[in-house]
Amino acid sequence: MRIAHPTRALRTKTGTPLLSIEGLEVHYGGIRALKGISLSIDQGEIVSVIGANGAGKTTTLKTISRLLPITAGTIRYDDRDLGAMSTEEVVEAGISLVPEGRAIFPNLTVRENLELGAFHHKHRQTMAETMEDVTKLFPRLGERLGQDGGTLSGGEQQMLAIGRALMARPSLLLLDEPSLGIAPKLAQQIFAAIRTIAEAGMTILLVEQNTRLALSVSRRAYVLRTGEVSLEGDAKDLAKNEEIQKAYLGGV
Amino acid sequence: MDSAKQADESKKGHEKPRSAKDRFGGAIFVVGSLLVALVAEFLLPRLIEDSSVRNILMTICCNAVVALSLNVINGMAGQFSIGHAGFMALGAYTAALIVSAMHTSFGGGTLPPTSFDHDYLVAFGHSFAIVPVALLAGALVAALFGLLVGLPSLRLRGDYLAIVTLGFAEILRLSVATTRLGNDETVGEAVHAIGGPNGFFGPVFHVGSVFLSSLGGKKGYSGPDGAGVPLYAGPFWVIFITALVALVAWRLKFSGWGRALRALREDEIASEAVGVDPTRYKVTSFVISAFGGGLAGALYAIMRDGNPVVQPDSFTFQTSFDAITMVIIGGSGSVTGAILGAVFVTVTVKLIELVQHADVVQNLSSSLEAHGFSLDLNALRMMIYAGVIIALMVLRPEGVFGEREPFFKKRMRTREGAPA
Amino acid sequence: MNGILAPLVTGIAQGSMIALIALGYSMVYGVLKLINFAHSEIFMMGSFFGLFALQHFAGLNPVLATALAMILAMFGTSLLGITVERFAYRPLRGRGKSSLLRITPLVTALGASVFLQNLAQLLFTARQRPYPRLFAQTRPLIFATAVVVMIALELVVKRTWFGKAMRALSTNEEAARLMGIRTSRVIGITFAIGSSLAALGAILYCLDQGDAYPTMGVGIGTRAFVAAVLGGIGSIPGAMLGGLLLGVLGELVKFSGFEGSVDIPVFIVLIAVLLVRPAGLLGSTRAEKV
Repeated sequence: MRIAHPTRALRTKTGTPLLSIEGLEVHYGGIRALKGISLSIDQGEIVSVIGANGAGKTTTLKTISRLLPITAGTIRYDDRDLGAMSTEEVVEAGISLVPEGRAIFPNLTVRENLELGAFHHKHRQTMAETMEDVTKLFPRLGERLGQDGGTLSGGEQQMLAIGRALMARPSLLLLDEPSLGIAPKLAQQIFAAIRTIAEAGMTILLVEQNTRLALSVSRRAYVLRTGEVSLEGDAKDLAKNEEIQKAYLGGV
Repeated sequence: MDSAKQADESKKGHEKPRSAKDRFGGAIFVVGSLLVALVAEFLLPRLIEDSSVRNILMTICCNAVVALSLNVINGMAGQFSIGHAGFMALGAYTAALIVSAMHTSFGGGTLPPTSFDHDYLVAFGHSFAIVPVALLAGALVAALFGLLVGLPSLRLRGDYLAIVTLGFAEILRLSVATTRLGNDETVGEAVHAIGGPNGFFGPVFHVGSVFLSSLGGKKGYSGPDGAGVPLYAGPFWVIFITALVALVAWRLKFSGWGRALRALREDEIASEAVGVDPTRYKVTSFVISAFGGGLAGALYAIMRDGNPVVQPDSFTFQTSFDAITMVIIGGSGSVTGAILGAVFVTVTVKLIELVQHADVVQNLSSSLEAHGFSLDLNALRMMIYAGVIIALMVLRPEGVFGEREPFFKKRMRTREGAPA
Repeated sequence: MNGILAPLVTGIAQGSMIALIALGYSMVYGVLKLINFAHSEIFMMGSFFGLFALQHFAGLNPVLATALAMILAMFGTSLLGITVERFAYRPLRGRGKSSLLRITPLVTALGASVFLQNLAQLLFTARQRPYPRLFAQTRPLIFATAVVVMIALELVVKRTWFGKAMRALSTNEEAARLMGIRTSRVIGITFAIGSSLAALGAILYCLDQGDAYPTMGVGIGTRAFVAAVLGGIGSIPGAMLGGLLLGVLGELVKFSGFEGSVDIPVFIVLIAVLLVRPAGLLGSTRAEKV
């Protein structure tokens, strides 16, 4: 699994976080969806954000990708201010979002979907290499390259969405609910793939409702509650935390 | 807007016992406008001797009906209809045909315009039989066509309505303008040919052609004997009908039906979830709008001091666009705004006509034309309107007044700007 | 047999020109979900640009003159199309779709159309200006141009980065942006391509049928829009199919001896198709997002 971008090198020195969010406030449809959250991710880390519906998880990811306007606070990534950037620039800077509900292009073929992932660099050889890696990671996609994306099952579409994001050769991968609405067996496969990607050294920010799955792959986690960070810490510690167990793991 | 919100909140809920003013307001308004209209019928010709000035006043009224009716679909329902001229044309031709026929059956002759003698009073009396029938028929024909056009297009994406209404109005106008058979065959004769040696369908189409041809083509319809459509609707009718339409528009806006329409416009899916059938509401408002358009056209065709010839050129796309301008400039959804928009557009149109015929402009125009340009002030006006409308949409999409009703304390009963 | 062949050939020629204009509607609808009313006026402007260019190149070989006129007119309408997009549509983007705002793009589109038409009225006067009769037979030119354009367009849409970006943008704007696609640029190029196709259609139309005048866009523009809807708006092959069908239908109606305007049956067909197959013949049947 080759993940580093061939031409873009990160400026971040080890020891400083790759992404750091400070006091982020976001309004969404007249509602204060994020009320000043702060979080950070180091390079090579896999961090998850968990929480109930409407806690602001998706809003956080969409704001990092600059799909939503920032009311207050800063997002710094690799020594740059994301607040001043557009979605396209964020992608070029190396952040790829796998959006909730997958949002693949249903009337384009699987191959075209993947190629579009490489749109911002259009680098022929990198494309071929990554395509190879992605089809190795998700053999099902390799078998269906000529099919329209819309004909895939939900799980396969999720694989396609992740593959498409990898085609950009990002330095930071944002995953929004990769297990949502997918058969448990396929969800397991997808999380295995996420682990593989992480082991190759990818930095991942994962938003997930399935707390157990999320904590099992992450190193650290943040718990969001109605737009605020209510807890943060090591994934292992959080998995043992009574409050978390009661609220999100169905209690014991 | 803040005060409006406070007023809403103090009302606590939508249904509140109606005050005496609410209950009898309509009746008082109707009686009041009847009186005003009656006075105007007898006083206006004496106060204003210039018939072209009276024509402006009458046209303002007709255009108010145009704007108020278009406002139902474009403003209140949030759908975009751009062929209102088509419905006006339907109303105008229908009313002209009916008035002409009824006039003949009442003995014919020329209408005494303003001298208040016995003949005038007889004609005024006759108008109570003729005008309501003609107006209603014109409006109903337009409403029927509205149903035919609206049903297929409103079931679909909203923007199909725009193109379908545009095409409908243009085709209607072109059909009337271009069908001239050039013989004296009457509709009756054509009907008799159905089922004859030429079969069924051919002659049926032919009846249509003969009928369209009888409308006078591009020159227009000027009554059965070519002496002009008898203009039965004096100031009384024009003013009274306009007032009535304004009242109905106001009531519609603040009725439960109007509220449902607004809810639908805000969020179609949510409204559907609470049992509002979007298609039914959209089609109903379109039919109402077409009805009003037909009524306006009918009024326009038979109003005194107006044009005694109903011409296809009065119902071009420009007419539709002027109607849209009236609604948008005033503020989509506002009854008062629509009326003010109608006044504004009518006055500017008439002013331009006046200026265009001034000697200075005529001279300038001909010298410009020598250089290959034209000084068509009406084109200039349309260009400016279009520019203003684009700017308005970019800077202030809710129009000058938004949905508010300036000069009236009564406010919207639904909360505005609620988060989705 | 010979009797019906002639209207068929004429119909296909007519249809090819309609299709060229319909493509502009369909492509813009694909990326913006907007009926670009100004497209028919861009067509009209294209015929004027072409006329002026042809007058300028009057001494040249007719084929060369036509080719130059086409290039210049395409360039002119592209600029015009991009300008319209810049001033009338772009400021409205990203405003959300709630309440009254839904019809504002339609209003500005209509405004842009009225603006251009009346501008032409002032600049060029209302009179009809005849095109030079350069070719005894215009049909070979029409067929050749149409075939070349369709193939080129198919290649652009299927094989190039721009084509993929355009199709991605048509299906899901947000996802397209997440691919790093600069949507404003794609929209601008789409307008440029659609507008230049309208110029091509305009020159062919005028060489075949005659005059250029400020209101010429209304009738032909509406017919082209009907073609786009008929084929399935947003679908490029649909626009081609719709154009051809409409052209043939129009000629067959004339052939049958119908007394009224050709637009009447065309309009009835539109209503019928909308009733039976709302998404058009080749349109995607997926539900629209509200």
